Amino acid sequence: MMGNFLFLANAGTGGVGLNLDLIETNLFNLTLVLGFVIVFGRKVLTNILTERRATIENAIQDTEARQKQAASALEIAKKNLAQAQAEAEQIRQTAITSAANAKAEIAAKTAADIERMKELAAADTNTEQDKAIAELRARVTKLAMERAEAQLKNLLNDSAQAQLVDRSIALVGGN
Amino acid sequence: MHMLDGLNIINSLPLAALDVGHHLYWRLGNLQLHGQVFLTSWFVIGLLLIASIAATRNVQRIPRGIQNLMEYALEFIRDLTKNQIGEKEYRPWVPFIGTLFLFIFVSNWSGALLPWKLIHLPSGELAAPTNDINTTVALALLTSLAYFYAGFRKRGLGYLAKYVQPTPILLPINILEDFTKPLSLSFRLFGNILADELVVGVLVLLVPFIIPMPVMLLGLFTSAIQALVFATLAAVYIGEAIEGHGEHEEEH
Repeated sequence: MMGNFLFLANAGTGGVGLNLDLIETNLFNLTLVLGFVIVFGRKVLTNILTERRATIENAIQDTEARQKQAASALEIAKKNLAQAQAEAEQIRQTAITSAANAKAEIAAKTAADIERMKELAAADTNTEQDKAIAELRARVTKLAMERAEAQLKNLLNDSAQAQLVDRSIALVGGN
Repeated sequence: MHMLDGLNIINSLPLAALDVGHHLYWRLGNLQLHGQVFLTSWFVIGLLLIASIAATRNVQRIPRGIQNLMEYALEFIRDLTKNQIGEKEYRPWVPFIGTLFLFIFVSNWSGALLPWKLIHLPSGELAAPTNDINTTVALALLTSLAYFYAGFRKRGLGYLAKYVQPTPILLPINILEDFTKPLSLSFRLFGNILADELVVGVLVLLVPFIIPMPVMLLGLFTSAIQALVFATLAAVYIGEAIEGHGEHEEEH
């Protein structure tokens, strides 16, 4: 339909080719517009992209710095942990040795105590025995003396005494 | 188009000419394909592929050059998608929205910036792929498919409940909406790009040099906006389909 009133310059000429008609291809204006877009568009786009790149770079740097910081903090914390662990180990070792020492000491002390108490007990027993023996001896002597005295009193009457005296005189006079 | 009737007179002058409604037809079975659209589409696809491969071939920790540029584009698309679909569901839709945006944007700008007419075809002429209604309808229908898929996948058959909300009286309008969405999407894009090209063409026809330049720059601006609008609306539709209404959100 449009063909009726719109003139078709190359209608029917056929084949693919190059059309170098400056007006028909609008080449002049297109070149200018394209140049305009390239010059100004490039400027704007370059600005935007440079800014974007800078932002990304900053973000990455920031993140990397923070990562580094975190890594060093982790390193320090690890070192502290190792130190604390070593300390704990040392304390435990010390505790173990001191416990062993205390144990041995206490054992020795207790053994000595027991020994001493035994000795003491033994000594105690000996003195008690001696004392008892002495007491018994004293009582036996006392009883024997009492019995002898009593017997002596019963046996020693006047006649016996006279007899004894007579015999003693006889003994002397017979001479 | 009747507006252009007045240009009849110019036909007799040896100035430029507008070539509308002519296509380089390719035949595929019973189908007639608009060859020039395919050629420029492949060009655009190739451009995007080369850019993505170049950007990802040697990925640096601190992006530079094309990697930086493409990352910037990706960030832009991701933010757009996130704003429309929401933090929770946006991630799987970034590739789709991004493809739409980048393809439309590069198509539009290639049409507005590159001297396609240097290459002479037997019939029709090379231009932005988006100035052909077939391209924009295809993109719009893909968007429709995408939001239906998103809705059914997220809410199952409960998605159909949105047709009777807020009141069943609106059922016809809600159904109509599913037809108007792709229609408006495709016609908006197609119309804008074709109109741009026609305006520039007509101006070139009248005054060949310098004068069309402001309109061409404006065309660049609207082209970019149209790409943004298409991608944003696609994301909005998908977001709507996923989100549903407030009270439904609580049930799930």
